[in-house]
Amino acid sequence: MQSETPPNDDRSSSEVVLDRVTHRYGGFTAVQDIQLEIRAGEFLALLGPSGCGKTTLLRIIAGLMRQSEGHVTIGGEIVDALPPNERGAGIVFQSYALFPHMTVAANIEYGLRARGMPKAERAGIVERMLALVRMRDHAARYPRQLSGGQQQRVALARTLAVSPKVLLLDEPFGALDKNLRLGMQIEVKRLQRELGITTVMVTHDQEEALGMADRIAVMSEGRIEQLGTPEQIYDRPRSLFVAHFVGTANLFGGRLEREGERFAVQLAAGGRLQLDDPGPCSRPGQVSVSVRPEHLVFVPPADGTINATVEFALPLGPTVVHELALDNGDKVKVTLARTGGHAWLAPGTRTGLAVAPGAPVAVFQA
Amino acid sequence: MTPAPVPGEAVVLRRSRLLQQWQLVLPLALFFAAFVLGPLALLGYVSLHADVSLEEASLTQYTKFLGDGFNLGVLGATLWLGLKVTLLTLLIGYPLAYLYSVSTSRWQGVLMLLIVLPLLTSAVVRTFAWLVILGRQGIVNELLVAVGLFEMPAKLLYTPAAVVVALAQIELPLMVLPIITVLAGIDPNLRQASLSLGAGSWRTFLRVILPLSAPGVLAGCLLVYASSVSAFVTQTLVGGGQQMFMPFYIYQQAIQANNYPFAAAIAMILLASVLAIVVTVNLLARRMRGVVHG
Repeated sequence: MQSETPPNDDRSSSEVVLDRVTHRYGGFTAVQDIQLEIRAGEFLALLGPSGCGKTTLLRIIAGLMRQSEGHVTIGGEIVDALPPNERGAGIVFQSYALFPHMTVAANIEYGLRARGMPKAERAGIVERMLALVRMRDHAARYPRQLSGGQQQRVALARTLAVSPKVLLLDEPFGALDKNLRLGMQIEVKRLQRELGITTVMVTHDQEEALGMADRIAVMSEGRIEQLGTPEQIYDRPRSLFVAHFVGTANLFGGRLEREGERFAVQLAAGGRLQLDDPGPCSRPGQVSVSVRPEHLVFVPPADGTINATVEFALPLGPTVVHELALDNGDKVKVTLARTGGHAWLAPGTRTGLAVAPGAPVAVFQA
Repeated sequence: MTPAPVPGEAVVLRRSRLLQQWQLVLPLALFFAAFVLGPLALLGYVSLHADVSLEEASLTQYTKFLGDGFNLGVLGATLWLGLKVTLLTLLIGYPLAYLYSVSTSRWQGVLMLLIVLPLLTSAVVRTFAWLVILGRQGIVNELLVAVGLFEMPAKLLYTPAAVVVALAQIELPLMVLPIITVLAGIDPNLRQASLSLGAGSWRTFLRVILPLSAPGVLAGCLLVYASSVSAFVTQTLVGGGQQMFMPFYIYQQAIQANNYPFAAAIAMILLASVLAIVVTVNLLARRMRGVVHG
């Protein structure tokens, strides 16, 4: 395998194809029949709760685990029989897994030495990698002398140094505190854009996936629930699971009815919602309607509206979250942008709720 | 829950707690003073006398020991034996510990039993077992003759090699257990990171696992060395008195020759030599770790 191409140069990024991949641990099926095509240069996030099989899938791509069934193709080549070091997949672990007995520079150089690259060439790449992740001043430090964010940058540099065809990130920001996380997310995204490298990231953090990925595969119980752009995942969830797992969803039970060309849902808690194009379910009958808290607005209470009573309001910096109780006792969350002044409703206020014009609403068969 | 104490009570409480902590150490400290430090001081005191009746204080015992080639030969042989045993245990023990660390938990149970089993029988029993194994009519000889490798039973027992092999088996747990502990503490992702960076299994082992397990190797080596240098029973029975080692020399001078001051001096010299080696190795290791671990 040729891997001498310096990473900043024009590289041909590779697509990754998972063809009906299944993996079982004893009797437990961790991933089932996964069909997934990751385009060259794409940033794909595998999003799901713990135990959904996303990390197993990542390790299968990396070659750290051999799938029970199916094939993995990287750059058009089936790599099932190849060990990790011949696949061209570079993985960054959640714990970073930096070699504690080596300096930053030695960590970055490790993969290059393993490939038998001459010393002069190695030094050049290490230098470039240090610059790429802005760790030039820390080349002689040891991992334990670095902060979490710095350790992660070194881990990235170490993986990128060997010019992998695919970059695999396993919960990359899990160990960072919140402030640092945003900075590193921007930095990783910048690196990924600059290098144009195909990237697969495993995360359970929906904001991370929504913010960074070109496409998201939402996983649950070993299967892909939905594959799509962040907008599609957020605004057009295909299942109740996706609606719940990604973002916050208010669920209203009700009955979908046809009104000529249009549709309406008669809600169990009272009130009626007009819908032009219900989806993914458009068959009249019992349904659950999912509406995001930021897609609901307050209207004066009336007969046809959804009526509720404010229980409390939480002013969370840029937004205010209201929790309301419907007449049947169900809870609803409404998020309003904080537009200055005391804009939120006091507890006990009676109000009507409506879906903001044009806001996406998802309808699922109940 | 106790009610909140008033300030004065808190002070009393804290004081009594301090006292309790101090008191808890007391039994061990007294035991240590009475049965380790005391005898050691006595040994030092006895060794500093020229005559058996302990009337004339002098350094003659030490000058006598250090001025005689035979004595120095015994010391050298003992320290050299310790080194050979340590290297052999390391050679057998490291792979065993490594095997343990990569085994499934069920096999780990079996392996651990095998590793600590020798500790459950006394060194004397194990030594006699070696006498049976290596004797002229022993298992090894009978097997070698039966297979046709030897025409006659060979002399295996009472050789320097027999002492090394028997001691290595007996001290093995002291090498394996510390290495298992450090290997278990190494993040398994480090190995996977190394593999995915393009290193093979051997490079991963030599560059990552081995350096990171050095503290356990060092601890194991020091334990085995100190223990095998002073293993009186095994050295004497398996060695059969063909070669003199320090522990038997001490025994001989004290019990057979009744020369307690000289025996005490030999004991002090052995103690000092082992201590010097342990301290030196530790210092060197710390300096090396300074290079390796920063």
